Amino acid sequence: MNTSNGSITCPEYKARLNTAASLVETVKTQIRQDVLRKRNLVWLELTGCSGNIISLLDGSNPDFKYLISQMTHFIYNNSLLASEGQNAMEQLFSIPGSDYILAVEGAVATKNNGLYNIIGRLNGKWITALEAVKTLGEKAAHVIAIGACATHGGVSAARPNPAKCVSVQSVLNRKVIKLPGCPCHPDWFMGTIAHILLYGQPELDSRDRPLLFYSTLIHDRCPRRSYFDKGIFAEKLGDKTCMFKLGCRGPVTRIDCPIRQWNQYVNWPIEDDTPCIGCAQFGFPDAMEPFISYNITRGVKK
Amino acid sequence: MSKKIIINPVTRISGFMEIQADIENNRVVDARTEGLLFRGFEKMLHGRNPFDAVYFTQRICGICSTAHSMASTLALEDAIGVIPAEQGRYLRDILHGCEFLQNHIRHFYQYTLPDFVKLPEDYPLFKAEHSDFRLPKEKNDRLVKDYFDSLDLSRSAHEMLAVLGGKVPHNHGVFIGGITTQATADKIIKIKSILHSIYQFINDRMLSDVYTIAEYYRDYFYIGRGYGNLLSFGCFNGYKNLGTLYVNPLVYIGGETSLFNPDNITEQIDYAWYKDKQSFSKPLEADPEADMSKPHAYSWVKAPRYNGLPFESGPLARQWLSGEYRNGISTMDRTIARVLEARKVALIMNTLLENLIPGVSVQKEYTIPETAVGKGLIDTTRGALGHWLKINNQVISFYQIITPSAWNLSTRSSNGLKGTAEQALIGTPVRDINNPVELGRTVRSFDPCVSCATHIYTGGKHINTIQVIP
Amino acid sequence: MRVQDFSGKNLDRIMAEINYDISLLYVVPCIYTRNLILNHLIDRISMVESVAVAMSQTVQPQILPLQPGVTPIADPPALMQPMAPGTQATFTLQELSRFDGKGGNPAYVAVNGIVYDVTNNATWAAATHFGLTAGKNLTNEFASCHAGQPILSKLRAVGKLETM
Repeated sequence: MNTSNGSITCPEYKARLNTAASLVETVKTQIRQDVLRKRNLVWLELTGCSGNIISLLDGSNPDFKYLISQMTHFIYNNSLLASEGQNAMEQLFSIPGSDYILAVEGAVATKNNGLYNIIGRLNGKWITALEAVKTLGEKAAHVIAIGACATHGGVSAARPNPAKCVSVQSVLNRKVIKLPGCPCHPDWFMGTIAHILLYGQPELDSRDRPLLFYSTLIHDRCPRRSYFDKGIFAEKLGDKTCMFKLGCRGPVTRIDCPIRQWNQYVNWPIEDDTPCIGCAQFGFPDAMEPFISYNITRGVKK
Repeated sequence: MSKKIIINPVTRISGFMEIQADIENNRVVDARTEGLLFRGFEKMLHGRNPFDAVYFTQRICGICSTAHSMASTLALEDAIGVIPAEQGRYLRDILHGCEFLQNHIRHFYQYTLPDFVKLPEDYPLFKAEHSDFRLPKEKNDRLVKDYFDSLDLSRSAHEMLAVLGGKVPHNHGVFIGGITTQATADKIIKIKSILHSIYQFINDRMLSDVYTIAEYYRDYFYIGRGYGNLLSFGCFNGYKNLGTLYVNPLVYIGGETSLFNPDNITEQIDYAWYKDKQSFSKPLEADPEADMSKPHAYSWVKAPRYNGLPFESGPLARQWLSGEYRNGISTMDRTIARVLEARKVALIMNTLLENLIPGVSVQKEYTIPETAVGKGLIDTTRGALGHWLKINNQVISFYQIITPSAWNLSTRSSNGLKGTAEQALIGTPVRDINNPVELGRTVRSFDPCVSCATHIYTGGKHINTIQVIP
Repeated sequence: MRVQDFSGKNLDRIMAEINYDISLLYVVPCIYTRNLILNHLIDRISMVESVAVAMSQTVQPQILPLQPGVTPIADPPALMQPMAPGTQATFTLQELSRFDGKGGNPAYVAVNGIVYDVTNNATWAAATHFGLTAGKNLTNEFASCHAGQPILSKLRAVGKLETM
């Protein structure tokens, strides 16, 4: 525990605020001092729920205002762009040729040659999600796949995958930084962007996830770990013990939720007395189900 | 000689949509709204663990995920025979209220405002092509400031939700019986304090902002009426001790208000991209297959109907049916009703918070019957949302979702009746055919959510319509 | 730790995590956090150890590691320990299917003819593992994901699968 200034701060708590925030603070200073230039950012929404842009708006460390005013030239996002129709598409497709970072949320629908997801009309012609991500993805300086659908198909590709959705990586022959999560936590994205601005691509694991956020299993930092080790298991949602028998995927999910937490860092699923459903793990949702079960054996009958 | 206008993408909505409009003498004479995203959630849910529907269906929509957790939970409670405790309902409805606030604040400032207010053009996001900005500089500046300041408030609304819901988007809190966790005194007071600042923002700034827009864009009180048929499944209603705090299940047509009857809902797919065996069906009957080759079809959004007629659903319908606001039915009334409703919901949440008993646990162990049928109907931010499900062999064997945006952005039906938003576009004056800002203003007044509207069902024909989600 | 991440191919990543943990230990003053990191570090080191043992024995066909009880992390994996007496029960596929981890039944899975207990294995929450369910012969699935990984040594063997 630190006790400087008379206030007590757990360094772990400080660390979680700092990973993203301190990077961003450095970016801010350097941009102000003209050492660093803002870079263009394009945020494509494809086949999904557009929940990652909402999650980004929920970010606070730094927040969205800061991202668009101090860190980047935010060129395009379907949910926020003032212009519409042809003008919007021109704004989007004027960007290849310049230096830009491409952020993609949503999977890529491939059924009917991509026609299950049309993102706009350019000069009268329908532009599919498939076409957009290929065109913009090949020429971007960095591509960041945000959320479960973009990183591995996610819910959009859930069995039987009616729109034949695939990950962003499957249609691009290049490095794609992957930020799985449903949705992606705003800090995971902000921290990654800040790292790119300052030092380039962050260190990634073998599946292209930034180690900064995705290095440790939830289980290893779970505040209810001692219940697991002692075999004390919750019987229903709302119990305060280990959620393993209800279906908790913390032991197979590598992400920093236990120390970071969500929405201004006020809570997270396990603190809410529910199991982790593995939304930040590849394979979500099909490989992480069932989410909630009540009839699982706790003590083995003889 | 008519001219065709096509707008695609319609930005500042959730999901993907195209508007096609035929213009004669600078007025819209025909219009189609097309939903251009298909994922097929109803198909995905087949064979899954019924409890998983609560978390799974939230992924239909990132901005209104809590709405789907509410409807799926209600459908499951109906199917397995659970009646939630009153405290459970209060808790769940508080979470739902947080989403109303998040959604309405974001929709008004981030989605609606750029249609009427000139945002600073040094941001690439805010470049605007049309010139129909009418606010004097001083007022425009005030609204620009509120555009940015509102970001903190909508974020706080989600923070409140997470205090009891774990995280959001895609919360973990709403579940059978109420919510998963217990509301302790510290959590209640935290929510109250956030709610207080949100209420103040709505009351002091958001209301005057919407009335400022209304003052300078008075013509929009005469644009975008549509059919004037209004429908609500009810929300914040029927509490044992508190009665109805907002609106009961009602419909309004031809000047008459009557009780809503869920048996009168049908869905038509004549003009939506689904294979059709029959032209319309009841919610528990059909789950048609996708078919983009269907002639005449133009959208993934189906056409829900009540007594065979298209209806409008959402904040204006609720404000009207509850008697809170009856100024008129138009693009501007819809926008004003959304802001008034934000204030109303903040007050309702306060009442529910006052009636909470701290530390009550509402969870039990639930079992799934071999076979069951259930429906969950509730009004959510964008309007009337329904989930219908069947359970067989303890897994989901059928799932049907009709979203608010499906009501509002539906395709036309075989009797030639256009969808609600399509009808609302008819007669709209278009000043500059190259920058038809008027159309987007009206469509956005319905707060379309195409992610939701096209989520699901496979089936029928392809209509020219836009889909919306709740 | 997640055992399925463990293979020679992933050694680089494991080493990167070890280095990351060590660098964190230099800067984190909170004793609780340090303990967590240390646990993580020990876990990773044991993985590396297991890789080393597995590599030294690659000449022999892999003999199924059987060890009753839970293996403490610090113990070197006992790859060739014989099956303990009293665990020689045999299961037909049909019998195995009853052990699905539900309603009071333990969760068993068979790999390469041996039946293992995964009832309380951390990666088998709700008796399911990446879409697989307990009560089945998962030999092929295991081979496709965990070939060469010393996972089985940490599981309790409860018998053999009757081959027909």
